Amino acid sequence: MSAETGTKNNWIRELLGPAYTDDRITNGPGDECYVPVNDQEFRSAAETLALRKFVLAGLFAVETFSDRAPCSLLSVFEKKHNILLLIRDVDGSAVSVADLFASASWFERECRDGFGIRFDGAFDTRPLFLHECYPDDFHPLNKSFQNQPVPLKTEISPDSGYPFRTVKGEGVYQVPVGPVHAGVIEPGHFRFSVIGETIFNLEIRMFYKHRGIEKLAEGKDPADCLRIAEAVSGDESVANATAFCMAVEKISQIPVPDRAWYLRTVLLELERIVSHLNDQAGMLVDIAFPLGANQFSVLREECVRTNARLTGSRFMKGSVCIGGISQDISSAKLQGLPEFLRQFRKRYKVGLKIVLSTPSVIDRFTSTGVIKKFLLRPLNITGPAARASGGKVDVRADHPYGIYDRYAPAIKPLHDGDVLSRFTIKAAEVIDSLDLIERLIAEMPDGDICSSALVQDGCALSMVESARGQNLCWVRVRNGTIDRYKVRTASFCNWQAIEHAVQGNIIADFPVINKSLNLSYAGTDL
Amino acid sequence: MVNAITCLFRKKVTGGDPVPDEEIEAIGQELQCEIDRVFGHSLAIRELDTGSDNAAEIEINNLTNPYYDAERFGISFVASPRHADVLMVTGAVTRNMMTAAQKTYEAIPSPKFVVAVGDDACTGGIFAGTYAVAGGADTLFSVDMKIPGNPPPPWAILAGLLAMMRKADGRQRDKSL
Repeated sequence: MSAETGTKNNWIRELLGPAYTDDRITNGPGDECYVPVNDQEFRSAAETLALRKFVLAGLFAVETFSDRAPCSLLSVFEKKHNILLLIRDVDGSAVSVADLFASASWFERECRDGFGIRFDGAFDTRPLFLHECYPDDFHPLNKSFQNQPVPLKTEISPDSGYPFRTVKGEGVYQVPVGPVHAGVIEPGHFRFSVIGETIFNLEIRMFYKHRGIEKLAEGKDPADCLRIAEAVSGDESVANATAFCMAVEKISQIPVPDRAWYLRTVLLELERIVSHLNDQAGMLVDIAFPLGANQFSVLREECVRTNARLTGSRFMKGSVCIGGISQDISSAKLQGLPEFLRQFRKRYKVGLKIVLSTPSVIDRFTSTGVIKKFLLRPLNITGPAARASGGKVDVRADHPYGIYDRYAPAIKPLHDGDVLSRFTIKAAEVIDSLDLIERLIAEMPDGDICSSALVQDGCALSMVESARGQNLCWVRVRNGTIDRYKVRTASFCNWQAIEHAVQGNIIADFPVINKSLNLSYAGTDL
Repeated sequence: MVNAITCLFRKKVTGGDPVPDEEIEAIGQELQCEIDRVFGHSLAIRELDTGSDNAAEIEINNLTNPYYDAERFGISFVASPRHADVLMVTGAVTRNMMTAAQKTYEAIPSPKFVVAVGDDACTGGIFAGTYAVAGGADTLFSVDMKIPGNPPPPWAILAGLLAMMRKADGRQRDKSL
């Protein structure tokens, strides 16, 4: 056993030095390795990891995780098949790594709001999800705080408001947009600094929809928490439910029957198709091309109705459960699916042809909202947004879960990183998902759909490739109930890409850039 | 140079209309009659998300897709609250959204109506009683109609609007008496 773990963890020693002996490393139930470090070790390890092209996929705090300190900070470093969780004991303050990993900035601000941890050396110490109305020194994720309404500030003076970055100079003016937008969309604030029509700088402010998901999950029975996981973001409810279930299944070593994984995968891919169609239609609406948009919105509605036929819910809510899926999809229902998909594919291709042969579409999409490849790693940009900018990242291939090791998608990145690339990569992914679903239905095994097992105590990390990218979920079960449910959707990291993508574009192109990135406000604000 | 005759005879790219759904057509016709009668041919809705999981927005957006095409019944979703008759609230009211929600409501000219769409907007749902959420839409506004569901499908939203129209009609008449 020791010899096996010895070679298994060699990569950590090769990376960080011989001091990281096996007795310091705990292998989690998944691919992840937990290593406790002190602040000094953490800083030098982070520097090495940044040089060695790791990404900081998550950074979050947990209370009573180690017996040495009341609070621990877990930093998730990820590169291809390797996941390393560095554990720091925290007593009030910790060292910031926002200078090494840009993605750390929001993570650290989140920890500061939630737990009151100060980050030494952080360049941005503004609050994140707690807006001005919340009382000072209020940190809802501390275990000492019981989840209940708190007295809010009634008077908010102008100086206590949120300080936006100011951009000064001749002809620079600000355009504030939101939180309530003109369309039927979610709330968020965008502060544009504009010269003429050209965007010079954009600063986004989110978390208007902060619903306290993580606190709400505390103390819940794992099965009840599933409903909370689905509420993280309505249009990726299968992905988030699957990520949560996978974590609980890993902790309790619950085997998931093969048929359940096939069905889960069908649902995950259907969700991806629906989401991509929604984006494609939205992008075309935003450049005022309803003829093209309706090609996709009609198909989307039909796909959503198919979801309802298969699972009873248009958003497939309540279909994934711990141990498998909650209700079997009869072979009669499944048999209708290939024919639907065949027709779907034909019409989808017609729609694509109409859109991509329209010069005004190409004109508006090309070189609009470019995300440069060098931004992908520091900001941990994932999903189609990364793959359109040359990033070879996909959780289904990098950390295959369920049956994706047998059905791994081929990653075919594009390199321009503009709206057109994101449109085309989504088109290719829809076709790939159609292929995959057809294969899955043809090869669907019979058998159980859910295995029952007792939920045990422990913690585990899981990752799922949702339509938007890498969704990370870390669950800790203690005394049979959820002690900590940390969820970081792809949108949380991808949102920060938009500040870079819009620079130099005109304000009128902002909606289409925003839509092409398909960011969930709910999934970010939690 | 585009040949006009070729344009006339070539295959149309739009394809056929989606098959109309009888149930939706029936609700829509009734709704149109009510909108014509009570609101003078047009009902302007301002959507306000106060903390939903975005599924309700998607279903409201679906009302404008060719399957439902709610605009033909006289419903339009407007960009500004100043143009709206109805405030359509989705999601539980988060504390971070309270000020913005209040301002949006105040910007709507009277008489105004509030419709809550989805379980969370109706009651606060699973978020009721927590630090981050004040409750359902009725904690901020007097709600005229609640449309439950997680999320309610487009036809349920249409049916809810129809019910609201009838209620609104009653309210208008009470005032005129």
